[in-house]
Amino acid sequence: MMPIWTKSGKKHAVTLLKVQDCHVLRYVSKEESGGKTAQLLVGGKNVSPFSKPESAHQIFKEAGVPRKQKVTTFNVTDDAIIKPGTPLYAAHFRPGQFVDVTAKTIGKGFQGVMKRWGFKGQPASHGQTKTHRRPGAISTNKASKVYRGKKMPGKMGNIYRTSFGLKVWRINTIHDIIYVNGSVPGHTNCLVKVRDSKLPTCKEYNKNPPFPTFFADGDEKLPEDLFDEEIFQFTDPSVSY
Amino acid sequence: CRASGDGKPAKFQPPPKPVIIDKQKQRAERRFLSPEFIPPRGRTDPLKYYMERKDMIQRRKVFNIPEFYVGSVLAVTTADPYANNKSNRFVGICIQRGGKGLGATFVLRNVIEDQGVEICYELYSPRIQAIEVLKLEKRLDDNLMYLRDALPEYSTFDVNMKPVSHLDHEEIPVNKLQVRMKPKPWSKRWERPKYNIKGIKFELPESKMKEAQKWSQPWLEFDMLREYDTSKIEEKIWKEVNEGLKK
Repeated sequence: MMPIWTKSGKKHAVTLLKVQDCHVLRYVSKEESGGKTAQLLVGGKNVSPFSKPESAHQIFKEAGVPRKQKVTTFNVTDDAIIKPGTPLYAAHFRPGQFVDVTAKTIGKGFQGVMKRWGFKGQPASHGQTKTHRRPGAISTNKASKVYRGKKMPGKMGNIYRTSFGLKVWRINTIHDIIYVNGSVPGHTNCLVKVRDSKLPTCKEYNKNPPFPTFFADGDEKLPEDLFDEEIFQFTDPSVSY
Repeated sequence: CRASGDGKPAKFQPPPKPVIIDKQKQRAERRFLSPEFIPPRGRTDPLKYYMERKDMIQRRKVFNIPEFYVGSVLAVTTADPYANNKSNRFVGICIQRGGKGLGATFVLRNVIEDQGVEICYELYSPRIQAIEVLKLEKRLDDNLMYLRDALPEYSTFDVNMKPVSHLDHEEIPVNKLQVRMKPKPWSKRWERPKYNIKGIKFELPESKMKEAQKWSQPWLEFDMLREYDTSKIEEKIWKEVNEGLKK
């Protein structure tokens, strides 16, 4: 995470996400997926093919791509279908867009009810016998059962969570890095799924993206760094009011 | 000239060429790499530090961040939307330099009208318009937070102080000042060996000093997992930063 300053002098914290060897793997049609839209399988981050059996390499061989560590699905409309095997770059997103980032949260292991659900526990003194971090009562007398989904101790973390509506401040086209506002679930160097935001307030900011994606061998030549309009660039002199 | 014993005219011996010893070059070139360039120990991708360093070099090309240490007196002018001239100048002694990368900070302390004031500035913030080093010197410690519990005379610096000149090739003077403290209680127990403070003149009784040594951890200096040798990393970063600034 890094600080970033706007032209008015305000500081924002920013997370760097690197787009590492992302390729489109397969096209799944609407009938095959059983959903409302067609799907595209996308894989990221090359990894050695020797730790998995040959049967697992089927998808990658068809796309002509080395084995990927993670494969995710994106729901796409019919006009945004991309041929399997095309690489995806950071320039697919532009500064000023809003983005949802999904990742597996940091695993905390088996945790008690105070850390996992934020219960208050019991006082440390004044006669409490062996009860300081326990849940206390778990149900009422009338119910005579414990409801499903009761908050109790258990394994915490290591589940997929999404942060919605994160602004993209800056894109680096050479190293394929996306600078995204705020924090992102997961530990450092973990795999992360970045998707156009589905929040209704972010619809107008997400217009005019590179459609269906940014092609490196196309005619568009992008500069090394793409900045949002409000960012203070370090080539400018200091801010004054 | 020597007397010609053999009668022949003495061959002209040119005088020995004077050997010029350039004392300036002899003194090893003082290399100062600002501490925020050195990456901390961790599992982050070095690419992240490389990107941060590019931004830091870019900012340093436009805005001069001088060399300074903890214990030097600085004057910082920042842009302030609510001030009279839209700018605000603060003079103080640097008591702490923290943070790595673009978020590096330094804390300046001064006593203005009997009120101690500490301001934490970000080195790379665009609101800073000028940093001048009024007095470049080092102290015996890396962290002068104990000045909060010292007598206020050690933290007062004249706001209109003239900059003390410092030649390029001279070594940075180390001020071996031993500071006198206010009576206890202090904000932290500075006599304990964990803070390792050399710049305080402790006027505590011997029994208290001996009791403070109970918290010493003499095994820490032999702990190999705590060693972080930055010499090679510093070399590489020094070259990178110099090349970046020359362009």
